[in-house]
Amino acid sequence: MVFLQVLINGLFLGGVYALISLGLTLIFGVIRVINFAHGEILMISMYASFFCFSILGLNPYLSLIIVIPGMFLVGVLIDQVIIRPIRNAPSYMQIFATVGLSVVLINLALVFFSGDYRSINLAFAKQVVHMGDIGISLSRFIVFISAIAVAWLVWLFLDKTDMGKQIRAIAQDRDAARLMGINPNKIYMITFGIGSAMVGLAGGLIMPLYYVFPSVGAYFVLTAFVVVVLGGLGNMVGALLGGLIIGVIDSLSGFYLDPALKEMVYFLVFLGVLLFRPSGLMGMIGAEEMGLK
Amino acid sequence: MLGSYFKNIGAPGVYFPSLILLALLAVAALVPNEFYLNLFFMIFMFAGLSGAWNIIGGYAGQISLGHAAFYGVGAYTSAVLFAKLGLPPVLGIFASMGVAVVLAFIIGYPCLRLKGPFFTLATLAVAEVLQLLAVYFRGLTEGSEGLSIPYEPAWYNLIFASKNSYAVLAFGYMVLVLVITLVLERSKLGYQLTALRDEDQAAESLGVNTSRAKIAAFVLSGALTALGAVIVSQYVLFLEPHSDFSVNVSVELALMSMVGGLGTAVGPLIGAAILIPLGEFLRAWVGGGIQGLHYVIYGCILILVVMFMPHGIKALVENKYQALMALLPRFGAAARPQPEEEVHLHFESHEAEAVKEGRPLIAAHEISKDFGGLRVLSGISFAVHPGEILGIIGPNGAGKTTLFNVISGVYRPTKGRVEFDGQDITQIRRIHQVCHLGMGRTYQIVKPFGNMSVLDNVMVGAFCNQAGSATAREIALEVLALVGLLDKKDQEAKSLTLANMKRLEMARALATKPKLLLLDEVMAGLNPNEIDEAIKLIRDIRDYGSTVIVVEHVMRAIMSLSERIMVIAQGEKVTEGLPREVIADQRVIKAYLGDGFELA
Repeated sequence: MVFLQVLINGLFLGGVYALISLGLTLIFGVIRVINFAHGEILMISMYASFFCFSILGLNPYLSLIIVIPGMFLVGVLIDQVIIRPIRNAPSYMQIFATVGLSVVLINLALVFFSGDYRSINLAFAKQVVHMGDIGISLSRFIVFISAIAVAWLVWLFLDKTDMGKQIRAIAQDRDAARLMGINPNKIYMITFGIGSAMVGLAGGLIMPLYYVFPSVGAYFVLTAFVVVVLGGLGNMVGALLGGLIIGVIDSLSGFYLDPALKEMVYFLVFLGVLLFRPSGLMGMIGAEEMGLK
Repeated sequence: MLGSYFKNIGAPGVYFPSLILLALLAVAALVPNEFYLNLFFMIFMFAGLSGAWNIIGGYAGQISLGHAAFYGVGAYTSAVLFAKLGLPPVLGIFASMGVAVVLAFIIGYPCLRLKGPFFTLATLAVAEVLQLLAVYFRGLTEGSEGLSIPYEPAWYNLIFASKNSYAVLAFGYMVLVLVITLVLERSKLGYQLTALRDEDQAAESLGVNTSRAKIAAFVLSGALTALGAVIVSQYVLFLEPHSDFSVNVSVELALMSMVGGLGTAVGPLIGAAILIPLGEFLRAWVGGGIQGLHYVIYGCILILVVMFMPHGIKALVENKYQALMALLPRFGAAARPQPEEEVHLHFESHEAEAVKEGRPLIAAHEISKDFGGLRVLSGISFAVHPGEILGIIGPNGAGKTTLFNVISGVYRPTKGRVEFDGQDITQIRRIHQVCHLGMGRTYQIVKPFGNMSVLDNVMVGAFCNQAGSATAREIALEVLALVGLLDKKDQEAKSLTLANMKRLEMARALATKPKLLLLDEVMAGLNPNEIDEAIKLIRDIRDYGSTVIVVEHVMRAIMSLSERIMVIAQGEKVTEGLPREVIADQRVIKAYLGDGFELA
């Protein structure tokens, strides 16, 4: 029974990881940039949700209608101002630029909001539904369901809509897609926006559950890197699966081993995947470009 | 190195930087002001630490964001040995460097196979794991509370009452890293690192063991980082996992090299000299009131440098510095600039008549290659004798390049064997070994080491059989004279025209002194004049003792070059024979033009 409870906690935690990772993997799959500032977009969206609550009194679930489009714009801005000029530069330049952005955003948050840990006290977040011996946290359940729903919606969007088809075309072969009259810059901009909006959703949904502080993104993004590499970079289903697996590993090793070592366990999994199957469980988009095949 | 230093001491390019270093040493030894001494200590230390990072991050182009791992491990090893067991840090340094070397092997061996951002992610994760471990093993490290190093001033403890001593020690560390970097830059390893940074497959084809070179750089970089970390921790006297293993440490080291100039010896010094004072003054100026402001500025600088001056400040001031050097007087024997070296051609013309009997130099037996379900080559056999020129032709998609990749060890055949000089090539795992056996190749799509000079490009090839830079340089100059690129030897390779890039491809391969040279469409895209020159060049190459296999579409060239021609179509060998026989063969005409054509 305890095992089942730990497993369910792990799956729900995995939902959080998956939700954060989906945006990262979408951006990588299309733009071929690993956004080292991805965690900071999460941090901004958590602060946005926090201030919507503390200043405007908006319920965090309601404030999503502000946070999600807001993060879309933030993503578009980052893409156009920072990524666009160095799109064709060697990958180390993109690493440096996004690392620089991450340093700037973390410390700007420190300057403006101080290093205090802040949280929202929401009665709903603490509600637990009991089914026999198993307790299910409603707010975590919402995150879990959202992760699956978002993965499905994005898949639908990529599969069915014209814009989605253009995005997939660019992801497969940018030169050929350009010859078919697709404007790659527009696609990159929108993809970065969508990826960031997905993190915005994640930030809003986990605000009732976690503290927000300037370096909160760094904590989550490292896990997100593990998740996307495990699932196969650029692969949406992989990110969902990877998120759930890491969540379960996190929960099991925290309970049966030592909470202080749980991160270590999944970092070791991460290194193991990088070494033995760097294209991930579900296969990676653009593996040839990265020299992994 | 030392000898040539003193010989050239009269040249401005040598004495000027030496004088600057002496002045810095004097400042470190004599300035009484504690604030400035602290500032200089930090500048020297970070110049050295960033210089250590630059070996793997700049020269080898493998961006590590996990150098905090080496830094933390170095600092903690010596500090724990000192604080718990009383081992003086002078000895502890060696333990620290030893642990860092072991760590570099453990991380480097698997992770350096990963490319680009994946290596970066892996190093980030390693530093994170070590930070968690440092917090977890409280008994050893005191965990999050931090480890205090007892203040017992003595030279063997590397703890000093006077800050001047610290500043001098830091200066020594910086100079050590600088000298190691300068030696590296001029060594075989240095050339190999720069080459693999630009094009690792081409480097591998020229005999560079890229994994070994990267690991060597990583180990050196890690050990030097650990050494620096010990000195800093004996100055600060306090260690804490969240700062010593922090990703901020890794980012700062990378940042300074990037700002100063990635992959240059002096870059980290320039970066540290600008960023450390900036950080210190910002901190002093805004006070403790606003945490993190100097990191905001650091981050902005990093982004701006990447976007607007990717080659760093060094590249900006390079011209002005050279102009200054030209103005300064010269002293002594080193007064005159070196005269242009004369190039002697050592290649002897063998006028080798092809030996058609005896053991062939290379023989392929029934090779087939499948990609998934697609059969690209099926059952191709051929042999080439020493001194021959074999031409391979075939319509587009016939499998010519795949055949090249199989016989040069890039692909393993699905079936069949390739014997080269008595060795089975298909059993060889790594491409660089093929080069050492005596097979050189060019790529159809040119792969120059774009950021290196033409001469340096060819030297990378020459290092295949040569350890010494002077000899490698001689060989490279000879080869450049042979292919007619001598006047362009100092140009950056990426600025060459396509025709010259193809010459460069050949020159690099030739510099490895190959018994067999594989040329993959070296004439595509050349104009008729250039083609004539290329034909002559290839004949010369054969006359100097190499056996040559050419894949070519330019019929005029292949007809006049080849002694024998093999025709392949759709992965199968159609025929083989003398050029005039082959061109009249009905099967060949059919393969190119389809049915219904007849030679009039």
